[in-house]
Amino acid sequence: MAERTIRVDYLARVEGEGALKVRIENGRVEDVELKIFEPPRFFEAFLRGRSYLEAPDITARICGICPVAYQMSSAHAMERALGMTVDGPLRELRRLLYCGEWIESHALHIYLLHAPDFLGYPDAIRLAKDHPEAVAHGLALKKAGNALMQVLGGREIHPINPRVGGFYRVPTRGELEALRPMLSNALGLAEETVRFVAGLDFPDIEEEYEFVALQHPREYPMNEGSVASSRGLHLPVTEFEDVFEEVQVPHSNALQSVRRGAGSYLVGPLARYALNHDRLSPRALSAAHAAGLPPVVRNPYRSIVVRAVEVVYAVEEALRILDAYTPPPAPYVEPPASFHATEGAAITEAPRGMLYHRYRLNADGLIDEAKIVAPTSQNQKRIEDDLRHLVERSLDLDEATLTDACERAIRNHDPCISCATHFLSLDVERR
Amino acid sequence: MHEEALLRDLVRKVGEVAHAHRAERVTRVRLWVGAFAHLSPPQLRERWTTAAADTPAERAELDIEFSHDTSDPRATGIVLVSVDAEPSR
Repeated sequence: MAERTIRVDYLARVEGEGALKVRIENGRVEDVELKIFEPPRFFEAFLRGRSYLEAPDITARICGICPVAYQMSSAHAMERALGMTVDGPLRELRRLLYCGEWIESHALHIYLLHAPDFLGYPDAIRLAKDHPEAVAHGLALKKAGNALMQVLGGREIHPINPRVGGFYRVPTRGELEALRPMLSNALGLAEETVRFVAGLDFPDIEEEYEFVALQHPREYPMNEGSVASSRGLHLPVTEFEDVFEEVQVPHSNALQSVRRGAGSYLVGPLARYALNHDRLSPRALSAAHAAGLPPVVRNPYRSIVVRAVEVVYAVEEALRILDAYTPPPAPYVEPPASFHATEGAAITEAPRGMLYHRYRLNADGLIDEAKIVAPTSQNQKRIEDDLRHLVERSLDLDEATLTDACERAIRNHDPCISCATHFLSLDVERR
Repeated sequence: MHEEALLRDLVRKVGEVAHAHRAERVTRVRLWVGAFAHLSPPQLRERWTTAAADTPAERAELDIEFSHDTSDPRATGIVLVSVDAEPSR
C-alpha cells in the first residue's frame, strides 16, 4: 500500500524532575521536602564486575555537563588503589582538561540558566532578544571550554581520551598552541562576565553554610587536595566516609549527604572560594576584588559572581599550562602488570563541587564495589534548608511567585536538576 | 540524562502517530533540531537505532534539519515535524 506522510509538529519534552512540598501550620513552616523524581540509575551496581580500566568511560555517562569530573575522580581513585603516580605534563594536561569543563559548565550556568533570573527573563532565549551581546559572550566562552574538551578529550561531551594513568593520546604542542587565540579572547570575555554579573541586583540574604571543599597547599583545587571545611574540619580523602554519609529520605529518589552528627553542608564554587580564594590566579583575584567579593561569600545569589571569577581562573590557568607544555614521553603511566585485592578513593572538584569515588578491586582487576557521591547529593539537604528559609521569609507570596522564587533559590547552587527546575511543581499545604 | 528523556519522548510520539494511523512501519522521521537543543543531529542518529528498537520506527530513516537560529522561540527544542508511514496490509 502507498506510503504517506503524516504531519505532526510535536515539540519533544523533558518532563519536570523536581517537586517541592511545603507544609505550613498556623503561619509557621513545619516542613519543606524537595522531591527528585529522576529514577535511581544504578551506576554503582553495574560497575561491579567491570575492569578497573572501564570506570572512567562508564562513569563519564553519569553527566553530560561534567563528564570530565567523573573521569578524573574515577581515574585518580584507581591510580591510588594501584599505587600509580601521574605527574609532570600528564598531571598538567588533566588540569587543563578540567579547566575546559569548568569554563563550559560555568558559562552555561551563568548565561543560560542563572542570569535570566536576575534580569527578569524566563529563559536565555528571551534574554538573547534584549541582550544579544551577553548571550554571545556566554556562548563564546562555552565554545572555548568545549575546544579544550575536544582537543584533550577527543570530543566535547563524554570525552573518550582520558584513561587510568593519563590519556590514550596526548596533544602535540602545535595542537595546544592553536587554542591560544580562542583562550586569550576568552580571558577578556571572562573578565567582562565578572563585571556583568557583579552589576546584577542581589537579594540581601546570607546563609550560615558549612562550606566543604578540597584544599591544596599551592593550587586552587581541581584534581587534588585534602577535605577542608569552614568549621575547621581537615581530613584526608580516605576518611571522607568516616565523616560524611549518604542517607535515604522517604520523599526523594536522590540520596542526601550529611556530615555525621552535624547535618547539611555546601560544596561548589562558594565553598571552594571561601576555602581557597588566596590561591586564585592574579587576574581572577583582581576580578574578585573589583567585583567587591569578600573572602567568604554567604549570599547564595552571589554564587553567579564566584562562578564567573572561577571562569577567569580556569582560562588563566589554561593559558599558564599551555605556555609551559612539553609533551610527556608517554601518553599514560603503565598500570601494574599483576594485581592484588586493593581499594582506592579520590575526590576532585567538579564545577558543582566535590565528587567522591571509591573502588574496591579484586585480584583480577575487576571492580567488587563502587561508591560515588555526587555534588548534587551533597548539596541536596542544604538546598532544602535554603528553601525552608526562603519560604519562611515569603509566606505572603502567592503560589506562582513563590514557585518562581524557589526555582531561583535552587538554581543558585547549579544542581544537576538545574534545568529541570524550570518545571518545579510546588505543593503548599496550609492549615 | 535529558537526552534519553527526549529520545524516549520522540520515539513514544512516533509510535503513537503510527498507531493512530494504523501504520505497520515508519519509513522516515523528519525532525527539526534547535540551535540549543540537548541533542545534536549526529547524537540523534547515533542513538536512534537503540531508542527505536522493537518499535515501528526501528528502521526509519532520519531526516534532520538543524537550525542555527538562536533567537527562534523553539531553539532549545526538537520538533517532530512529520512521519512517513506504510499502512498495515
